[in-house]
Amino acid sequence: MLESLWLSLQLALVTTVLLLLVALPLAYVLTFRSFTGRTALEVVVALPLVLPPTVLGYFILVMIAPDSLLGGIWQALFDRSLAFSFSGMVLASLLYSLPFAVQPMQQAWRAIPQSWLEMARTQGLNMKQTLLQVMLPAARGGVLTAAALSFAHTMGEFGVVLMVGGSIPGETRVASIALFDMVELQQSNEAWMLALILLLLSFVMLSCVYAVNRRQFDVGIGR
Amino acid sequence: MISGENGAGKTTLLRCLAGLEQADGRISLGGKIWLDSSAGLALRPEQRQLGCVWVDAALLPWLSVEKNIVLGTASTDTAWLAELADMFDITPLMQRKPCMLSAGEAQRVALARALYKRPSLLLLDEPFSAQAPAIRQRLRLRLKAMQERLHIPVLMVSHDVDDAHVLARQHWHMRQGRLLLEVVHAKKEIQR
Repeated sequence: MLESLWLSLQLALVTTVLLLLVALPLAYVLTFRSFTGRTALEVVVALPLVLPPTVLGYFILVMIAPDSLLGGIWQALFDRSLAFSFSGMVLASLLYSLPFAVQPMQQAWRAIPQSWLEMARTQGLNMKQTLLQVMLPAARGGVLTAAALSFAHTMGEFGVVLMVGGSIPGETRVASIALFDMVELQQSNEAWMLALILLLLSFVMLSCVYAVNRRQFDVGIGR
Repeated sequence: MISGENGAGKTTLLRCLAGLEQADGRISLGGKIWLDSSAGLALRPEQRQLGCVWVDAALLPWLSVEKNIVLGTASTDTAWLAELADMFDITPLMQRKPCMLSAGEAQRVALARALYKRPSLLLLDEPFSAQAPAIRQRLRLRLKAMQERLHIPVLMVSHDVDDAHVLARQHWHMRQGRLLLEVVHAKKEIQR
């Protein structure tokens, strides 16, 4: 049980860090840049919200199979399969949790008052200074929300990671899959314990999100 | 100084000068060309060395008053900062967050921020609108003294004729996007 929990935590942590790196610029581009195909890109980013996880998992599995382009390149570089590996699960989690990271950040970027951005420009701040000193601090609530949601969502993944990772102990059997296995094997006590831990983790993460958002709101209205 | 009815284009004119709105024509200051649409030249706002005060003070709520004033500078000129704080009566407020300021105090912080970098042009949109009448006159006189000391050209939008009496060398009236006429005021003795 501890092994699967540790694996879930590792997966959630790696996915969250990578997602923040990908989602921050992606959300910026989707919010502030106008280009052909922006709507299509937004739809692609949001697709995991409505797609059945098994459907997404199937497409990712096909995409990273050893006879596919990506899978073949990975196999040639690292001499091992991307499918049914931890790295494959990270890729799947990235795609599956992408909207949970991008959408809060988009909302955070959109919520920055235009007057702050104009003030920064007329005060002589360049793009980098504006990003670091005005935009990122203003959007920090959205960044934290994105991180917490991505982490919690990855911790709770089942369908996608089962399709892409299988259930290899110590390699791809994360907590949610271990719970499923425990129920199938009628290990009720272990299943209860694991389910309770996952419930508490999700509760704590969401509590952090709500607390941060409440604090941001209070600061904004001067409480 | 520029005055005019609501919607006459006063703020838009300031925004064009600041580079926040697209404009056609030519703008230059002190021999430096800011905009020459025929040559395809337009300096970005951050390249124009501006000091601006808009109706919205736009103070960043997570920074103290002091940090708001020195925003974007690598090091703080403490003597100059103290002088500006004294000039705009905000010395006791320097460590406060903007949410703890009144509208008038926030406006004075915005004035100090606009002057801190010693801009090449000061654009002021109703800069005293949130001030009590007694404070207004004091601020006008102090701003006038500072303007004369630093030799900073100031373009100010205001409806207050007293602003014109104290501060304006030229006072233009604007209607439907055009500067129409120069308003001539009787000279008033300025009490320092």
